[in-house]
Formats: sequence, structure tokens, C-alpha cells
Amino acid sequence: MILYRGKLYPDSMQGELIDRLEKELPLLLGGERLTPPRVIAACANMYEKALAGKYDGIARPLLEAFGISESRYRDMIAAFSPGQLRYRCAVELGPDWENLPPLQNGTRRKLVPLGVLFHIAAGNVDGLPAYSVVEGLLTGNVNILKLPAGDAGLSVRLLSDLIDEDSLLADHIFVFDVPSTETETLTRLAKLADGAVVWGGDAAQRAARSLAGVDTKIIPWGHKLSFAYATEGCTEDDMRTLARHICATEQLLCSSCQGIFLDTEDMGELEAFAARFFGILRRESTAFGAADPAMRGRNTVELLCDKIEGAHVRIFSADGVSVVVDADRELTLSYTFRNVWVKALPQREIVSRLKKQKGYLQTCGLLCAEGERDALADLLIRAGVVRVTRGDLSRTVVGEAHDGVYPLREYTRIAEID
Amino acid sequence: MSATGKLFSYPKPYATEKTEALFLAAMRENCAFHYAHNAAYRKISDEAGFSCGQLQTEEDLARLPLLPTLYFKRHASFSVPESKLAVKATSSGTGGKRSVVGFDGKTLWRELKMAVKIAKYHRLWSPKLTRYVLFGYRPEKNGAGAAKSAFAFTLLAPAVSRVYALERTETGFRPDLGKLKEKLVRYAAGKLPVRTMGFPAYTYFLLREMKAEGISVKLPKGSMICLGGGWKQFYAERVEKEDFYRLAFEVLGVDDKHIVEFFGAVEHPILYTDCRAHHFHVPIYARVIVRDVDTLEPLGYGKPGLVNLLTPAVSSMPVSSVLTDDIGILHDEPCPCGCSSPYLELLGRVGVKDVVTCAQGAESLLKGEKP
Repeated sequence: MILYRGKLYPDSMQGELIDRLEKELPLLLGGERLTPPRVIAACANMYEKALAGKYDGIARPLLEAFGISESRYRDMIAAFSPGQLRYRCAVELGPDWENLPPLQNGTRRKLVPLGVLFHIAAGNVDGLPAYSVVEGLLTGNVNILKLPAGDAGLSVRLLSDLIDEDSLLADHIFVFDVPSTETETLTRLAKLADGAVVWGGDAAQRAARSLAGVDTKIIPWGHKLSFAYATEGCTEDDMRTLARHICATEQLLCSSCQGIFLDTEDMGELEAFAARFFGILRRESTAFGAADPAMRGRNTVELLCDKIEGAHVRIFSADGVSVVVDADRELTLSYTFRNVWVKALPQREIVSRLKKQKGYLQTCGLLCAEGERDALADLLIRAGVVRVTRGDLSRTVVGEAHDGVYPLREYTRIAEID
Repeated sequence: MSATGKLFSYPKPYATEKTEALFLAAMRENCAFHYAHNAAYRKISDEAGFSCGQLQTEEDLARLPLLPTLYFKRHASFSVPESKLAVKATSSGTGGKRSVVGFDGKTLWRELKMAVKIAKYHRLWSPKLTRYVLFGYRPEKNGAGAAKSAFAFTLLAPAVSRVYALERTETGFRPDLGKLKEKLVRYAAGKLPVRTMGFPAYTYFLLREMKAEGISVKLPKGSMICLGGGWKQFYAERVEKEDFYRLAFEVLGVDDKHIVEFFGAVEHPILYTDCRAHHFHVPIYARVIVRDVDTLEPLGYGKPGLVNLLTPAVSSMPVSSVLTDDIGILHDEPCPCGCSSPYLELLGRVGVKDVVTCAQGAESLLKGEKP
């Protein structure tokens, strides 16, 4: 399905429509400017309709599949409310973003869109492609979206509805369902863009770099790894929150905890900690409801193989959750779905060990006594971590940065006029 | 003659109850052989506190050291010198990881005896000249096992011609479904029966495309559609058997009595063939134990769990008891086909290959792998 200037077309018309886009885009860029207040107003109308239940039919199955609560869903859609969108603009672009004061010599300044954004979306979170486009619209850009494989039409539906709220948006949203293998077509689309917003893993990032010209800015939203760091000052309560976070996200998000580093040199202490956390994870998992049997089965098979190979120092496993004790000190991926590794990492090694994974570090859930919190957070940040939380690593806060940068800033530029 | 030899010479391939003692004796022989000739297997058995003498009843089979198929994907493990391996093959590797397997002459001889009896039971032998349409590629030396078994399949009835769907090109294999469609339509006008063999997913995609193009033919009498290898990475697209059979009848005019599905694995080279009620009965050469997804405890009949496959067929590798990635149910209800051996229903595979997570993507680069 293609969305072109507010109208839907079959994929078979892709070539023809891209030809048209190449001709029409330069004309559109000289047309009426899309201002943030108009985008905010369109989002506000959709937000009201979502609150009234317009999207319940689409949202319910997704919420159920991912175990997202009603209140969490309301928090998520609240990101499109006028108050929050304005707050985001102010935090990310600065309080004077709509009216930048001139420089001291009198040169005027303006925050303007980058121009055309080409969004290469990933399929791991439903609705994310549309969200990426809304961020582009908020900064006044024209947006070309390449749908991820397997997008069942949710993105096109949401964006069409948004266009219904304000027809000016029709000239700022273009959606194509081009397979990732059609590199020639993708290169053509990238050529039209001032910036390429690339969601996805290293393969996607590398592919985008190769198909975008040097005159296209790349804005990478790559894959990240997150973990917890615990000291002996961590409380039972901290561990329960962490266990709930692990069950709730199934460790699938960039911000999901993959494993726990413990501030120790002593393997006995490490095993005792693992046993304690295993007990808590088991209880929380039972309370939360078991993970998918096919994923539990996969972990059982992996762990049996690990056991035969003697891959871990110790394996605690029951009721579909597992905690493994490892002797190495590397940040690695867990088997996900409630499988957690526990490794020793004394404070003095935090920076040197984690620095190796620069560019991949995201959130650290820091479980420690209040008195040591600031010093440890500083070490983690120096290693490259961009967010330090408590046990709930995936909590969302309005105005927070994305992987350490502000998206809206990435999608704009400063223009100066004498 | 050894118990294993007797088991594979037994004339009735589904007389499970009558061959119970023979099966147990063959398993004892097989596991004693691996214990004696495979250091890794010996270590695993010792660590599990297991010795072959413990195999006295059918229930004892669950105590055999359980090796995941994943283990064979990570380690090549042989119980005979490599010089004795008559055939070396890799698993089809559709999920990314491949097993390297090897079979010695004795094992191959047993396989052949099994295949002959099973093919006879299911009336797969035919003296009629047959045209074969294969959804694979031409077998090559040291290639994947699937290509070899697909070729072996064409020996069941004398081949007039063999058409392969995958063409080797400079960059790898390229499917040419257009060629298959054209051949099937052409063969439908002829008199010689046609047999197709391929993954259910590929066969289904072809049938769906043909239907979309409005193709509806009737293949000559005696034609068969044969399916093997499971749905693999196409699990999400799996269709109900009835829908598949309906589509095959609409497009190629083949009824479900002439659609046969096979199941097996390089780590468990037993030929499971569905009966006319489309059930995979367990032949006398094997046992199936369904296990709890968390504890691996045997679940008995009627409950879904991880599929554990046992056979004494292989002497070259310690695959006596392997834990697969499949989730299934073992049934003991009477089957309309009259076969009294239990049958295995496959429900799915563990893990969801398609769940692409951001964390996993980062990991593959850390390891220096291509995602």
C-alpha cells in the first residue's frame, strides 16, 4: 500500500509514483509551510478520538499481546496530547524555539526544518513508523516513510487519519512499501532526502549509509543493550521492581535488562546473589503470568545445551525463568524471555569493561544505596551509558532524550539572516 | 544377529507393541556402543549417572542422556573414525545454524531397510514411469542432506524426468517457480503420473500463485504431492491441512489421499510418513517422548511439549535420544487408518525466529556476526 498526497495506491504503482514524487517534491518544498501549531492541533484531534476509543479495535490485541496495562496505554497515547508535544518541543529545542532571540550583532535566527526526511522504519514495535513520521512533521519536515516488512497497514491507517485532520499534512507524508532488497529504489528515495532516519540493527544502519549520498545526513536509531548494576546496598524492593520489569518487557526492548553486574570480586557472593534474585524472579514471574511456552521451550533447550557444554558456572532454572552465573565480565545478550545472566564487575572496572561496547550502551538500572548513587551513575555515564534508572529500566518520561540525543534537534537546523 | 539388526529386519514397520523388547535391547546396544566409542557421550552419560544397563522398561527410555539437536549444530560428534563415514551431510540450515552429520555403512544399510518397508506400507513404490518436480536443487557432493533425500525419493518410481526449482547461479540459489508452473501445466496434459516433493511452504506458495493466476489443471492419475521438512521459517504462514488439501485439489486436481507428508531430521534419520488420516505414526525404529517445556519431565499422551526423538538406527553419531526444537503432542487415540502405534502431531517450533529485537541486533555485531 502506498500513501501519496493523501491518497492510497497499490504497490504496483510504485515506479510511477516515485517518478511523480521526484518532479513534485521540489514544488512542494516551496509551498505552504507546515508549522508546529498545525501539527499539534491535528495530533490533538486524533488524541481525543483515541481517548474516546476510536483505536481500541487496533490497540486492544497489541496491548494484550505485549501485556501492556490500560494506564500504560493511556500514558503512551498521551505523548500526542498538545501539552506533552509542546513540552517536548520546549525541552528538546529550548524554551525560545518558536522565537529565537537575535545574536548580539543583530543577526536574526530561526529554527527551521531539515527539509525532507526519509524514514527507514523497523518492524519491532507496532506504530513506531508512524511515530517517527509525527516527529518529522512536528519539526515541519516533508516525510517519506519506507514501511518495515510485515507492517500490516497500521502505519498507513494512522497517517491517513492524521491527514484527515488537516489536509496540509497530505503534502508532507509519503509512504512506500519498498522491500529492503530494492536498493535502487531506496537510493532514489534517499537522494530526495536531506536526512535519513534509520531505525534498526547494524545491517540496516550499514545499508542506509551505503545507499545515502554524502549530502544526506544520517540519523541512526540503532539497536542498544541495557543492563542492571547492583551493589550490596540494593534492597529486596529494588530487585522486585527489576524482576517485574524483566517479565513485563520480556527483555525485548533496547532498554530491557539483559543481565545484572554485581559489585564484587567474590564468586561465592555472586552465586548467593544469583540464588536470591532467582527466587524473586520466580515469584514475580508467577504473579505476572508465565511467558510464551514456545519461548520457554527455546530457553530450556539452550540451557540444556549450555549445561552439557559446561557453559555457565551455575544455572538456576524453574517455572520458566532462569538465572545463570557466568565467570566472564562482558555485557552480552540474554536468551530473553526471563533468562538473566549475573556477572561480577567491581566498581573500578566499570569504565574499562563497558567502554568496549561504546555505541551500544543504553540504560543501566542502578540498584544501590542512596549514598553511592551519584558516584556510580557518574562511572556508568563515563563508560557510555546514556540513562541511569532504578529497577524499571523501560519507564518512559516525557521529554527524555532518545539514546542520548534529542530527535527534534536532529530533524531541524538553524538559519541566520542579516 | 544383533538386536538392532533384528529390529531393522522386522517385517512390519508399525508393530510397535510386538517389538518392544527388541527395541529396548537395540537401544541398550546403541547406547553401549556410543559410550564405548565416543568420549563426549561417555562424559555426558557419566555426569548424568546413566548406564545402559538401566534400560529395562519403556519408561526407562526417558532416562537416556538427552542431547539437543542444537548440540549437533555446535559440535560435530562421531562415534566411528571419520574414514568410516560413507556419507557426510549438513542439515538444510534454513534457520541459520547447520548440523554436520555423517553416517557409516551400517547405519545407511539400516536406513535403506527401513525406507523400503515404510515405502511399501504406504504404497509409495510404483513401477510406472513418473515425472518428478522437486522444490530443491540438484544434489552435489558434500551438499545438504535435503537434496540427497529428495534425490533418493525419485527412486521410488522410475524417473522419466526431474525438474528442480532452485537453479544454481554465481551468487547462490535462485528459485524459478515459473518453470515449475509451466512444467506442471504441461505434464497435466500428458499421461505419465507426476510426483512433487518439497517443503510444505514452497509447495503452498506455488499453489497459491497458480491459483491467483487462475490455473486449474488435473494431473494424470497416480500423481502425488509429497511434502517434507516442515514449515521451518515459514511457521507464521502455516495453513490448516484441510485448506492446503483444498487448494491442491483446486489447482492440480490431486485429492488428499495422494498427498503424503514426511517428517524426519538429520539428527534423527527416521522416516515418519503420514497415514491416510494424515497422522505421523511412530514406526518400530523409534520412540517419541513429549516433555514439559520447563522441567523436561515426560508428559505422556495428549499434552503439548518439547519433542524428544529416540532411535537405535545410528552408530556413527550419539543421536540415541535427541531433543528437537519442535513442540508437539503424542496421541494414543485409535486412528481410522487402523495403525495402533501412537502418532505425533507437530504444533510448532520453539522460539520465534521472526521476533527481531533491538537488543539482539546489537549482540550480533558485538560477536562480529552478520545479522
